[in-house]
Amino acid sequence: MFDYLIFGTFVGLLFHGIHRKVIARIQGRPGPPIWQEILHTLKFSFKQTWIPKTASQTLFVWVVLVAIGIWSAALIVLVTRGSLLLLFGIYLLHKIVEHGMGLSSGSPYGKFGAIRSVMSAASELPLFATVGAIYLFTGSMMLTDILAWQTEHGPLLVFAFPAAVALYVVILSKMHYSPFAIIESKEIVSGNMTEHFGVWRAGLEVAFGLKTYVLLYAFVLLFLGPLPFLLVLALMLLLLLSLSFICAFSPMLSPYDTVTVQSLTMGIVAVYIVIVGVLFA
Amino acid sequence: MFELPVTTIEGPELFVLEFGDIVNYFTVYTAVLFTFALLFTILAIISRPERQVDFAFGGDAFYTKDITPGQFRFQRFMALACGMATLGAMMSGDVFNFTLFCSMVGITNIGIVAAYRNRHVLNAAFQYGIVAMIATVPLFGSAAIILATTGTLSMWELFGPAIAVPLVAKIFLVLGVMGEGMAPFYVAKAEITRAPGAPYVLMIHVSSLLLFLRVVEIVISM
Repeated sequence: MFDYLIFGTFVGLLFHGIHRKVIARIQGRPGPPIWQEILHTLKFSFKQTWIPKTASQTLFVWVVLVAIGIWSAALIVLVTRGSLLLLFGIYLLHKIVEHGMGLSSGSPYGKFGAIRSVMSAASELPLFATVGAIYLFTGSMMLTDILAWQTEHGPLLVFAFPAAVALYVVILSKMHYSPFAIIESKEIVSGNMTEHFGVWRAGLEVAFGLKTYVLLYAFVLLFLGPLPFLLVLALMLLLLLSLSFICAFSPMLSPYDTVTVQSLTMGIVAVYIVIVGVLFA
Repeated sequence: MFELPVTTIEGPELFVLEFGDIVNYFTVYTAVLFTFALLFTILAIISRPERQVDFAFGGDAFYTKDITPGQFRFQRFMALACGMATLGAMMSGDVFNFTLFCSMVGITNIGIVAAYRNRHVLNAAFQYGIVAMIATVPLFGSAAIILATTGTLSMWELFGPAIAVPLVAKIFLVLGVMGEGMAPFYVAKAEITRAPGAPYVLMIHVSSLLLFLRVVEIVISM
């Protein structure tokens, strides 16, 4: 399992680098090399590290470990084809990490990031809609059953397209530089990550790399079904490129606009679920 | 002896704890949620609160709020009680017990917020209180409807295909938990973060998210 975690981290960080490169090229800048995020993580690992004097020290450190822990667990759930509900739960727990990271430092920038994280709780709602729609079609929350259903009937992308769009919005809202990334926007320095530097930042980069890998991997598995692994990686890259295009062209939304767009997405998918539910009944 | 009727949602049970006719249990799903709640409860116990830095508007100055450990005694106690209630809700195998733990989470959440003497934060606590009180009606109403229509409150029975739980009871249960956990109610969520005491304030969010995750499992399984 350790090799999966190393591989997931490496690919996730590489994807972050590709994401930055694509955004830069679209915006007419050369951009950093695609392995920049891997170098960043290594660099932070060896930089001087301390904890701010004003921080809640235990929480400040533990929140980094929790971030790595939950996304490692999420990858294990995916690899072992466990419960989709568990994956959904782990994703929601990431909100606690975002919030704890911001509040624990005592910094006003971190605090603003944490408040925005609470406000953008709407970003989790489309995921719930996705889970509900998938359950209506497949009748199971276990990934093994969902994959088996797709082998028999075809990709869920065709049958539950609005649910796929909802998950796409969820992934978009968690990408760096996304129009929904209000918790780390530059007017509040780095938001909830402002005070985490040195080895703490390296730990967070590892966790966020894993998060990107897990979310993209989950999208491909859930909506395209069981495929050869190299093809899965290629599809994850394609998905990432589409996200990068959106991030490059879209300005950062205001916090309230973010909540509005995400709530609307949830509303549309909820109507879709009701219709599908009535049809199934 | 005990086997969960539905294993396609959260997997098979790992551990069963029997108290007479109340049978608590762990599946992989609830065990993960329980562990998370336990971790943050321990963190609330062992962490010292942060000292918030604030800007003095109209100048370049900033100041650090001076906070003594004595100020946080009650907040820490409430956070601990909130953690215990969340732990109970995660492993409960009985709908009534689950609703009881939910209402206890609501009460302790108000305590965590109200412990800090600041006008905005106390307003937030007041609004929290109103939402939590209103939410107890659908919360316990759902348990009452389930008992009246099915004759049992045990999840071991309710999760089986033989018993159909009315949709209105499920909707009431979700509404009640949303009100107690306050996850989607924005009336005071941002205001609460004015209060210092990150490890304790965080317990509000930990408990509300975990309750929400548990109720999703319960409602889908019923």
